Amino acid sequence: MKIQKDLQKNLNYIKSELQSDDVSFLDLSIGNKNGVLVFVNDLVSKNQVGELILRPAFSFKGKPTRKKLFGAFFSPEKTEVLTFDDFFNDLLLGNAMLIVDGIDGALSFGLKEFEKRAISEPPTSTVLKGPREGFVECLPVNVSLIRRRLKTPHLRFEHMTIGKYSKTPVAICYINGIADKNLIKTLKEKLNKIDIDAVLDSSYVSKFLGERDTSIFKQVGNTEKPDILAGKILEGRVAILVDGSPIVLTVPYLLIEDFQSPSDYYSSPYSATVVRLLRAFSVMLALFLPAVYVSAELFHLQLIPLSFLLTIVNSIKGIPLSPSYEMFFTLAIFEVLNEASVRMPKYVGMVVSIVGGLVLGETAVNAGIISAPTLMIVALSGICLYTVPEMEQTFSVLRLLFLLVAGTTGLYGLILSVSAFIIYLVSFENYDTPLCAPFSPLITADMKDGFYKGFIKEHEFRPQSIKNVNNRRMKIKK
Amino acid sequence: MKFQLKTRQVCLFFIAFLPVIKLFTLPSVFAQTAREDMWISATISLLLDFITLSFLIVACKKAQTNFFGLLENNFGKIASKIILMLYFVFFSLKAIVPLGEQKDYVELTLYTLMPSKLYFLPFFALAFYLCTKHLRVLGRLSDVLWVLSVIGLLILLSLSLPNAEFDAILPIGATGVKRILSASFKAFNWFGDAVYLMFFIGEFDFRKKDGLKISISYLISSLLVVIFMAVFYSVFTSIAFRQRFALTEISKYTAVINNIGRFDYFGIVCLLFSNAFALSIPLYFSCRILNHVFNINKKWISALITTAIQLIIMTVFTQYYLSIEKLMTGALSIFFFIMANVLPLATPFLTFRRKQNEINA
Amino acid sequence: MKSTLKAKILLGLAFVLFLFFFSNDFGLIDVEKTSIITAVAIDKEDQTFTVTAQIAVPEATDTNSENLKAQLSGKGSTVGAALKDLGDVSGWFPKLAFCNLIILGDSLTDTNVIEALDYFAKTLRVQDSALVALAENSAKELLSITTPLDNISAFALQKVMLKNQGFDRDVASTDIKTFCSGYYSRNGSAFMPLIKTVNSGDNSSDESSSDSSTKGGSSGSSSSADAKNKDSLFDARTTALFKDGYKVGELDPELTLTFNALTQNFSDTTLPVNDVLEQDGKTNNYLLTVISSTPKLILNVNDGLTLDISLKLYCKISDHASQSSKDALSQNTPLSTAVKKKAQDLMTERINALIEVEKQTECDFLKIKEKLYRYHNKQYSKYKDNFLSVLKTKVNVIVEGQK
Repeated sequence: MKIQKDLQKNLNYIKSELQSDDVSFLDLSIGNKNGVLVFVNDLVSKNQVGELILRPAFSFKGKPTRKKLFGAFFSPEKTEVLTFDDFFNDLLLGNAMLIVDGIDGALSFGLKEFEKRAISEPPTSTVLKGPREGFVECLPVNVSLIRRRLKTPHLRFEHMTIGKYSKTPVAICYINGIADKNLIKTLKEKLNKIDIDAVLDSSYVSKFLGERDTSIFKQVGNTEKPDILAGKILEGRVAILVDGSPIVLTVPYLLIEDFQSPSDYYSSPYSATVVRLLRAFSVMLALFLPAVYVSAELFHLQLIPLSFLLTIVNSIKGIPLSPSYEMFFTLAIFEVLNEASVRMPKYVGMVVSIVGGLVLGETAVNAGIISAPTLMIVALSGICLYTVPEMEQTFSVLRLLFLLVAGTTGLYGLILSVSAFIIYLVSFENYDTPLCAPFSPLITADMKDGFYKGFIKEHEFRPQSIKNVNNRRMKIKK
Repeated sequence: MKFQLKTRQVCLFFIAFLPVIKLFTLPSVFAQTAREDMWISATISLLLDFITLSFLIVACKKAQTNFFGLLENNFGKIASKIILMLYFVFFSLKAIVPLGEQKDYVELTLYTLMPSKLYFLPFFALAFYLCTKHLRVLGRLSDVLWVLSVIGLLILLSLSLPNAEFDAILPIGATGVKRILSASFKAFNWFGDAVYLMFFIGEFDFRKKDGLKISISYLISSLLVVIFMAVFYSVFTSIAFRQRFALTEISKYTAVINNIGRFDYFGIVCLLFSNAFALSIPLYFSCRILNHVFNINKKWISALITTAIQLIIMTVFTQYYLSIEKLMTGALSIFFFIMANVLPLATPFLTFRRKQNEINA
Repeated sequence: MKSTLKAKILLGLAFVLFLFFFSNDFGLIDVEKTSIITAVAIDKEDQTFTVTAQIAVPEATDTNSENLKAQLSGKGSTVGAALKDLGDVSGWFPKLAFCNLIILGDSLTDTNVIEALDYFAKTLRVQDSALVALAENSAKELLSITTPLDNISAFALQKVMLKNQGFDRDVASTDIKTFCSGYYSRNGSAFMPLIKTVNSGDNSSDESSSDSSTKGGSSGSSSSADAKNKDSLFDARTTALFKDGYKVGELDPELTLTFNALTQNFSDTTLPVNDVLEQDGKTNNYLLTVISSTPKLILNVNDGLTLDISLKLYCKISDHASQSSKDALSQNTPLSTAVKKKAQDLMTERINALIEVEKQTECDFLKIKEKLYRYHNKQYSKYKDNFLSVLKTKVNVIVEGQK
C-alpha cells in the first residue's frame, strides 16, 4: 500500500497498524505544511532527532516539496520510502520517519541508538597471541569490524530481512572477485526461501543453509572473531551476519575448519602443526577410547597387555555393573555434570565442578560403584573432546553411539560403524564443496593448511577445496 | 562429459583395495601348494592381472564412453545385457570366498569367545550403504583408505621383519613349475582386480601419462603383496600353510608384543577398515550392473538384492562353506580367469570398432 | 519429509541398538570369570595328559599386595581335552591368549612332544608365540615352585628365558612357532631350553626342590608361597635337542652359548676366558664382553660337503682376576695376544664340540640340511640322507680387541 498525500489518512492508517505505546508521533510545522515525525522511543537517539531533524524542520521556509525536504535535513543516513511496508520496516529498525502533508511518501532517517554490548574477546575462541576483538550482537558494529580489516571496494555487503515478526536484518558479506558467483546465488536463494516467524540467532539461519536437514554434522561454519572471518572471506567463503547474534556464519564449510584454531595462524608453523596433530589425536581418543576399552574388556581381552589386564581385573572386582553399563553410566554422569556446569550460575558452577569431579568421582570409586580406569577414561575422553570445542556436541553424541555399538558388537561392529560414517562423510557435499576436503577428495595443494600447517610463503594460492574466482593469494618476489 | 573419478583416485583405488584382501587366507592357500615359491605364484597372478590392466589402459585411452556404452555400441542392448549379467554373476561369486574368510576371521580370532553369528551381519548393512552411493564416493574412499592400507601393511611388515628368515624362500623355483602354477590357478578368486578398471572406463578424464600412473600404482600395490608373501613364508617357513589368518599371525612374535601387548592390532585394525570396503567392492559393481541392466533408478533396490544374495549365501549355506570354497578355488577358477583376465583383453577392440563405425558413418 | 523419515529410521535403529546394549546378552565374557592363564605345564602318564595351568589371581589394588597365583590341573586323552576338563571343574573359562609359557614334563620326552604342542600351534585363540621349555622332572612340579624373583613362577621363568633378549645370549629360548617350524622342516630338528632348579646362592642343581606339594587330578591347589621352595631359582642354560619330536640330546651351557654365537646377534654378551698364560708366566682369568660378532656358516659342495664356519668377535675386557696395573686400569686396555689366542682356541674347541653333538644326535640345529636345500638344491638329493656323516668342517674364529 502506498503512502498517500493526505497526512491525516496516513496517520490513521499508521496508528491502526501500530497500536503500541512506545511509538511517538511528534507534530511539526515544516514551512507552510504540517508534518509528523514517527519513531520508536527506545530505538532512536533523542539528541540526534533534535539536532538533525527538528532544528532543520523548524527553520524550513516556504512550501516543502519532496526534493527540497530531502536536501533540508542534515542526517547522513536518509532514504525516501513510498509504501507503508517499507515505512514500517524502517520504523521498527529504529529509523525516524517523517511524513508531511501533501507529499506522497515519507523520509526515513537512520538515527538508531540503543544499548549494545561492548566489543570483547569471545569466550569460545580465546587466543594467547593475536587480535582479541569479537563480534557483538549489533549488525552495524559487526559490519564495521569487518570493514576495518578489509578496506577494499570489492568487499560487498548485501542486506535483507528474515523473519515474519522479527524482521531480523541479515547481511551476506563476500569479496567480489574472489567468491564464486554460483555460491552467492545459491546462498541468496536459500536465504530468500526462509519463511519463519523470527530469527533470534544466527543458528536459526544456519539450519536452513545445510544440504542435509537431519545431519549430525555441522554444515555451516561459524566464528566470533572478525580476523578469522576476514581470513575465511579471503579464501572465497561467504559470510552471513545476523543482527542479534555475535556468531557469524560462513559457507561453504569444511570439516577441517574446526581443527584450525585462530592461534595456529599467529604462531610458528611447527607448533601449529604439532598442536593440530594433537587435536586430531585427542579427538580420536575422545571418540574411541571409551568404546575400545569396553569392547576390549568384553570381547577382546587379547588386546590388553597382561599387566594392564591384571590392574583392570583388580579394579573391577566387586563392581556391580558390567563394563559396558559402567562406562555408559559414567559417561552419562559426565554429560550431566557438563550440562549443569554450563547452565548454572558461575559461582554455583564451581561447586558443581568440585562436587562432581572430586567428591562424586572419588567416592564412587571408593564405594565400588565404578572402577578407577573407567573414571579415568571418561575424564580423559571428556577433556580431549574440548580440544575441538566447535565439534563438542557432535562428538559427544558420536562417542555415545560408538560406545553402544562397541558394547553390543565389539571391535568389528565398531570398525563397521566408523566405516559407515566414513562413507557418509566423504559423500557429503555442501555448496558443491566436499565436507572432507582436502582429504577426500585428496587435494594435495590444500594439505598445507590441513593437519600440517605450512609456512606463509607456501600459501601462495587460495585453497582449491573452496571454489573461488581469483586463485592467487600472494605474489612471492624472489 | 562430467567425470565421476579422478585419475589419482583410480591409482589409489588399487593401492587401497588390491593388497588388503589378499592378506587373510590367501598366503596359507599359496603356501599349501607352492611352499617357498608362493611369492612366485603371487607374482604370476599379479602379472596376469597387469597384462589385463595394460589392455584396459589402452581401452581407457581410446574410449569415448563408459564400459556399458562400449558394450551397447558393439553388441546391441540385449547382448550387452547378457554380458553384463555374466559379470554380475562373476562379481557375486568373487565376493563369496573373501566374505567367508572375513566371517571366519571375525568369529575365530578377533573375539575372545566365538561370537554370535549376528556379529558379522552389520557388514551387509555397510555393503548395502556403499552400494547406494555414487562412483565418486568410491573414488573419495580410495583417497582416504590408501593411507590406512599402507600404514597397516607397513606396521605388520616392520614388526615381522625381525623374525623373518629370508633365505627360507630359497631356492627360487625349486618347488616346480607345476606346483607354482597350480597355486596361481587356485588363487584366481582372490586376484583379477584389473577388471575393475574396465568399469572405470569413461568415468575419468584419461590424459597423457595417466596409463603410466595407473600402471605404477598397480605395480606398487602388487609389490606390497609380493613382499608380504615373501615375509610371510620367511617368518613361518615349514608351518606357513597352517597359518590360516596371516594378518594376525605374522607380526606377533616381535619383542614389542611381549613388552607392550598386541601393538600389531593398530596395523590390523587399519587393514580391517580397508578390508571392510574392499569386500564390498564386488558387491558395489554387481549393484551397478543391476542398475544398468534393469534401468533401476532407486539404487537401494539393487543394493538390497546384491547384499541379500550374499547374506543368504553366508547364512543359509554356511555349513557348505568348505565345499563352496573348494569349488571357488577349483573348477570355478577357470571362470574367474576368463572373466577377469581373458574377456577384458577384448575391450580395446571394442573402442576400435566404435571408431571404425564412426568413420564408416 | 524424506529426510525426516530417514532420521526417524536412524533413531529407531539407535533405539534397537540401545536395547541390545542393555540386554547384555551377546556372548560376551566377564573378565572376572575368565581365568588368565599365564603358563601351562604338560605331563603325560600312560596315555593321559595332565595339564596344569597357572592362573594369575589379581588382588584388589588398595591392598598393594602382589598378584597371587592359583594352579589347576585337568586330565584328558589330549591336551585340549585336559584343558576342557580344567575349565569344567573350575567354572573358569580357560583363556590362553596370555599364556606365554608352556613347560613340558620329562615324561613327554619318551613320546613325540609335538603331540603335546600341536594343540597350541593349531588353535587360533592360543598364542603360538608362547615360550616352550622342558622341565628336568615333572612340569607341574616346576610350575609350582615359588622363587624369590616373583611369586608367580611363570613370570620368573620367563624372565630367565627372555634374558637373552637384552644381554647374555646364554639361553637358547624358543617359542611354539619356532619349535613347530623346526619339527615340520626337512631336518625335523628343534630345540628348547631345559629348565633346572637351583638354590639361590648355589649354582648346583637342586633335585629335592622339585618335590613341591601339588594336588593332582582335576582339583585345584591355591599355592601360596611354599617355604621349601622359597630359595629356588631357575637355570635355563642347558638346551634339549629334539629330532622328529623325540629328545635326542642336550647342549650344556657352554655349547648353548656357542650355538647362540653362531646363530644370533651376539653383541653385549660376556665370555669368560680362564687360565690365560701371561707374558710373565702367570695365569690369569678374564671376562670378555663381546661388542659385536659376525658369524658365518657357509656350506660348500665343491670339494665334498664342507661347512665353513667363521666367527669374528670384537671384544673388550670387562674384568680379570689379577691385581690391576695402572695400564690395565685404563678403560681402553687392548686385548693381549694371549687373551685373543686363548679365546679363539676356546671358541674353536666349542664349535667343534657343537658339530660333534649335531652329528651324534642327528639333530640338525645348525640347519645344515636346510642350507643344502636352499643353496645347493641340485646336490640336495645326493646328500640329504647322509649329510651329517660326510660333512667336513672348517672353523675359523677371530677374536679382535678394540683398535
